[in-house]
Amino acid sequence: MATFLPQFQSIKSSFAHIVLSVEDVSDLWPTIKKGFEERLPFKRASLNNKTRNPVLVDELPAEFILTTDARLRSRFPQEQSLFWFREPYATIVLVTCEDLDEFKNILKPRLKLIVQNDDREWFIVYVSKAPAHNDQATKMAKKVFAKLEVDFSSKKRERCCKLDIHGPDPNFWDDLEGKIMECIRNTLDRRILFYEEEIRKLSEQRFMPVWNFCNFFILKESLAFMFEVAHLHEDALREYDELELCYLETVNMAGKQRDFGGMEKGDDQATLLDSGKKALAQIVQDDSFREFEFRQYLFSCQAKLLFKLKRPFEVASRGYSFIISFSGALALHESMLPFCMREVWVITACLALIGATASNYEDGLAAPDVEKEFYRVQGELHTLCHTKFMRLGHLVGYGSDIERSPVNSASLSMLPWPKPAVWPPLPPDASSEVLAKEKMILQESPRLKHFGIQRKPLPLEPSVLLREANRRRASLSAGNMSDLFDGRPRSGDGSGTPSAVQRVSNVSMSRTLSSPGNFDGSIDRPMRLAEIFVAAEHALRNTISDAELWKSLSSVEEFEKKYLDLSKGAANNYHRSWWKRHGVVLDGEIAAVHHKHENYDLAANLYEKVCALYAGEGWENLLAEVLPNLAECQKILSDQAGYLSSCVKLLSLDKGLFLPKERQAFQSEVVRLAHSEMEHPVPLDVSSLITFSSNQGPPLELCDGDPGTLTVALWSGFPDDITLESLSVMLTATNSNDEGAKAIKSSEAIVLMPGRNNITVSLPPQKPGSYVLGALTGQIGQLRFRSHSFSKGGPADTDDFMSFEKPTRPVLKVARPRSLVDLAAAVSSALLMNETQWVGIIVKPINYSLKGAVLHIDTGPGLSIAEKHEIEIEKHEFGANNTDHSDNPPDNHSPVSADVKQLSLEDGKINLPDWTSNITSVLWIPLKAISHGLAEGTPAGTVSQRQSIVDGLRTIALRLDFGVSHNQTFEKTVAVHFTDPFYVTTRVADKCSDGTLLLQVILQSQVKASLTVSDAWLDLQDGFAHTGKGDGRPVSKFFPLIVSSKSRAGILFSICVVDTPAKDGEELDPISVLNIRYTISGDRNLGAHSPVTKELTGPENETDPLTFRSALVLQRPVLDPCFAVGFLPLPSNGLRVGQLVTMKWRVERLKDSGKDVDSDDVDEVLYEVNVNSENWMVAGRKRGYTSLSTKQGSIIVISILCLPLVAGYVRPPQLGLPDVDKANISCNPPGPHLVCVLPPAFSSSYCVPAA
Amino acid sequence: MASTACFMIVSKNDIPIYEAEVGTVPKKEDAAHQHQFILHAALDIVQDTAWNTSAMFLKSIDRFNDLVVSVYVTAGHILSFVMSD
Repeated sequence: MATFLPQFQSIKSSFAHIVLSVEDVSDLWPTIKKGFEERLPFKRASLNNKTRNPVLVDELPAEFILTTDARLRSRFPQEQSLFWFREPYATIVLVTCEDLDEFKNILKPRLKLIVQNDDREWFIVYVSKAPAHNDQATKMAKKVFAKLEVDFSSKKRERCCKLDIHGPDPNFWDDLEGKIMECIRNTLDRRILFYEEEIRKLSEQRFMPVWNFCNFFILKESLAFMFEVAHLHEDALREYDELELCYLETVNMAGKQRDFGGMEKGDDQATLLDSGKKALAQIVQDDSFREFEFRQYLFSCQAKLLFKLKRPFEVASRGYSFIISFSGALALHESMLPFCMREVWVITACLALIGATASNYEDGLAAPDVEKEFYRVQGELHTLCHTKFMRLGHLVGYGSDIERSPVNSASLSMLPWPKPAVWPPLPPDASSEVLAKEKMILQESPRLKHFGIQRKPLPLEPSVLLREANRRRASLSAGNMSDLFDGRPRSGDGSGTPSAVQRVSNVSMSRTLSSPGNFDGSIDRPMRLAEIFVAAEHALRNTISDAELWKSLSSVEEFEKKYLDLSKGAANNYHRSWWKRHGVVLDGEIAAVHHKHENYDLAANLYEKVCALYAGEGWENLLAEVLPNLAECQKILSDQAGYLSSCVKLLSLDKGLFLPKERQAFQSEVVRLAHSEMEHPVPLDVSSLITFSSNQGPPLELCDGDPGTLTVALWSGFPDDITLESLSVMLTATNSNDEGAKAIKSSEAIVLMPGRNNITVSLPPQKPGSYVLGALTGQIGQLRFRSHSFSKGGPADTDDFMSFEKPTRPVLKVARPRSLVDLAAAVSSALLMNETQWVGIIVKPINYSLKGAVLHIDTGPGLSIAEKHEIEIEKHEFGANNTDHSDNPPDNHSPVSADVKQLSLEDGKINLPDWTSNITSVLWIPLKAISHGLAEGTPAGTVSQRQSIVDGLRTIALRLDFGVSHNQTFEKTVAVHFTDPFYVTTRVADKCSDGTLLLQVILQSQVKASLTVSDAWLDLQDGFAHTGKGDGRPVSKFFPLIVSSKSRAGILFSICVVDTPAKDGEELDPISVLNIRYTISGDRNLGAHSPVTKELTGPENETDPLTFRSALVLQRPVLDPCFAVGFLPLPSNGLRVGQLVTMKWRVERLKDSGKDVDSDDVDEVLYEVNVNSENWMVAGRKRGYTSLSTKQGSIIVISILCLPLVAGYVRPPQLGLPDVDKANISCNPPGPHLVCVLPPAFSSSYCVPAA
Repeated sequence: MASTACFMIVSKNDIPIYEAEVGTVPKKEDAAHQHQFILHAALDIVQDTAWNTSAMFLKSIDRFNDLVVSVYVTAGHILSFVMSD
């Protein structure tokens, strides 16, 4: 059967669609051919697939062929069965007949004969030529057709249809198509059955020695081809898949080693999409096919079907797997194949696949997921091709032009070298090429990385090419290997490092230079690198038949062009798929090429993408590879901002990734730029490099209004010290959102050391609240920088990975305003008026240091500071006030005791000493209150000292400036009470019958101190005189009289009333003056004390006695009363607010008026009612004249209607007689008195009594 | 026989948080980048695969010549890569 292969191939190539045979019995075909062929291709066909399921096929092509055609004749029966797919699928019998007899006798037997062959599917088309207007003919045609139907149609199947040439029935064509379809379907079913049966039979023999794959293949492919022709592509594809499986199963059967193929010229170009490249007959081997060609053939058939099925994405993904697996197969046979056959084949296969699938693919053809996957596979194909292409380039000596990036290194360093049986030898006349290569090697200089980064280049070779190539040379034994390395010991790990390559090449080069013509000598001499390159190039030239590919390898420029194309293709496709990382990585490769060719703009753009990817995901090792390149591009492009940011990023990468020297280079670049004139200065974000945090421990706490110093810990990631021209720390209030961050600037330049630095910044007064560190800004040279990141490197936090994400602690707390200090008077009791007294001011700090505080003292009116004296300060002892020191001599409290310090007042200011800063202290200020008025004594019984108390009050305005920078101020006005030592009251103790009056002077001590009266005398006013000796002094032996605190003492004076003749022009002395000489012994801590003297006296010295003067008003006793005024009793039911009451006074004349008695005996007496208008309302006249008889004993009652306004004890209105001397009026009651006024009654407006 | 193996844990945001060379081959300076590169590239594939399967252990999702990458994906999408030959 295998001999039919060529025939099968030619049939396949000439046969494209289903054949329908036409049995033209009555020569009708030329007439109706046009109508029939117009129906082609069939719009819609319903066929059964292999599993007998109906499948709708659109656009089924077919061809009508007359049975008399040569193509259907002269076929051998065996051929017929084998290539049954090309036999007609339906036989259409065209007949016409206008006569029943003719039909019966001639046509019917003939038709019977035609249709008796069961193998064929047939039906009859009766063509009626009867014109429409000819009824007779039409009728006849109908009769004949009816007869025809009776004879040839059965109940099961209609086999006749009728075509009217002159009036075509619209239903005819549908009918015809239906019948054709039925025939095709039946034929197809039958043939499928036949092929299946045949295939099954063959399959059963699969493991028998007689098995012949070619036979199986012809049957299987015939079936597949038949499906394909019938447009049942899915089924065809399935047949090919099965065929492939079967082939792979049989081809690898043990004991059947066959020729692999691929040895012919042009085999290096993949034919995986070109099934017709090589005739199948050529690849037959024994009972099967050569694997190399046949697998590609099968794939191409599958691909063709998949393209027809509009599934190019499947072609791509199947193709990728196919290339991978086929590449494996090639590797197995590599030793027999031409040099680098595998690599070249993969490259051409990938390129062919990429081209075919891309041209067959339209966007939107598939679901988005499928589309993404398609682009991914495209990317993979590009990458694979890229890798193999690099390998070839490396073999011919372009290795130095390949970027030693991680992706290239990963692809190439693990990809083994080609393993030919024998490494290609150096062609005999290649000396000039070797020289050229050596020159190239010599000229290549490892591209210096920016910043002087010296990094071991990543390997591109799985092992040293030099060793690999020489090892595979037939004539070189392993023992000669040491020759290669010039007697040096071999490196331990067996795989050479790139530097070793360099070293080795240098060695061989030097040798070459010393003896250039020496290399084609002994065959045993190991090949040098340049020779290997040249040999590989020659071998590749033999392998590669594709001129395009060879051109790409012919020069470095072409190589780079292709390299770039492939990189771009891969990157673009990856970008359109899900595999963004792959795309970006390849962008990096493209960037490297641009970089090399000084297209820095393009390179920088692409590098930025790569860096963003790695930086975003934190793959620092990879970032460290690319970032220096980006930085270099940015530097060249004068992108200062970008360059700076790259340098900062480089510095902030893990320290282990760069050498200290390299890191220093990064820093010096930053510093250099920062100090140069930048065109567009931009703030630099150094968050990754300079981090900060508050110091450990509690936050700094400040009182409101206080400045402070804040310590911030900074971590510098710079390898060396770096000088910051300025530094600001932003403080953000945590409690208020409206207030922006405040920058706190550090004044002086700061040198940051690597690692932790503590920076102190002075803090101006802040508003109350708590603050956190916001950001850090500063300047390096002219470069402003910012840092937002809190340090994660704090020593206490290092174990906590996430610590830097913690909410930040407050770094500063400013307390709400509170009282920080209190000033108060030390003594509440009264001090001596008109004497210099120590006024104590207690200065009490409230948890706040008063260091450097200054007290301003401003005395109010009537008070002055005795500036002659020093001001004293001492520690205040709580409870000292409670101790009664009054018994102790005052000198026990020496002003110069150890804890009392002298201070001096300057311009009303006192600087408080530092030792008082945290303790409560008392400041003693010598003050003198001046009162020019004379103290007044009052008659006993009237108790009103209020006036004198108010008079004795003096104020001192104090202002304390304190705080760290005198920012705090406390002001207070302190009241100090001054008083006279005594309150003097007098009363006449007794009136003697001889007119002597015993005047008792009562001295009430008003101070908290012991007063010693040493002398007292009374200067009497006119009208009075002392009795006795008349010096006005009491008996001297009573003195000294000691009046202790708050106690009373009395002194008796004996005086008498004298009549003093009025002197003309001289005023009478209206007051008497009491003079008291006294000394005071008191404690300044308690109250009044002895006055401050200029000279501080010792404890034994007596203080000078003081003099107290008090005015006394002595009234002559009412000895000759002329009038008596009596307050008449009030109604017994009492007074009530709001109720009118009549006040009555009885005025009685006690003596006859001294005036001449008038005829009418009546005298007008002026009266006046004194009333406090707040308490009383008077209805009527308050002042008026009333007539009173001049005779003794005449009486008059004066009534005044009053209304009490205030409840309580109030003084009632008083009646006075202004015209009469007080001495002549006797009052009852004699002094002021009070009456009780009840509160108003409840309202009774609506309860008026009936009466 | 010496083997190369690299173990790496990658956080949810694709950030490598732990890396260890666990093979018997002594770590080469240049290989570190390479291993990182291979594992980084495998992230693309994990992203593709992880959501299409209920399995947490994705066996040999990527091959790089002789090196095979497997990954264990936790429920929180923490990836544990193992790369070995």
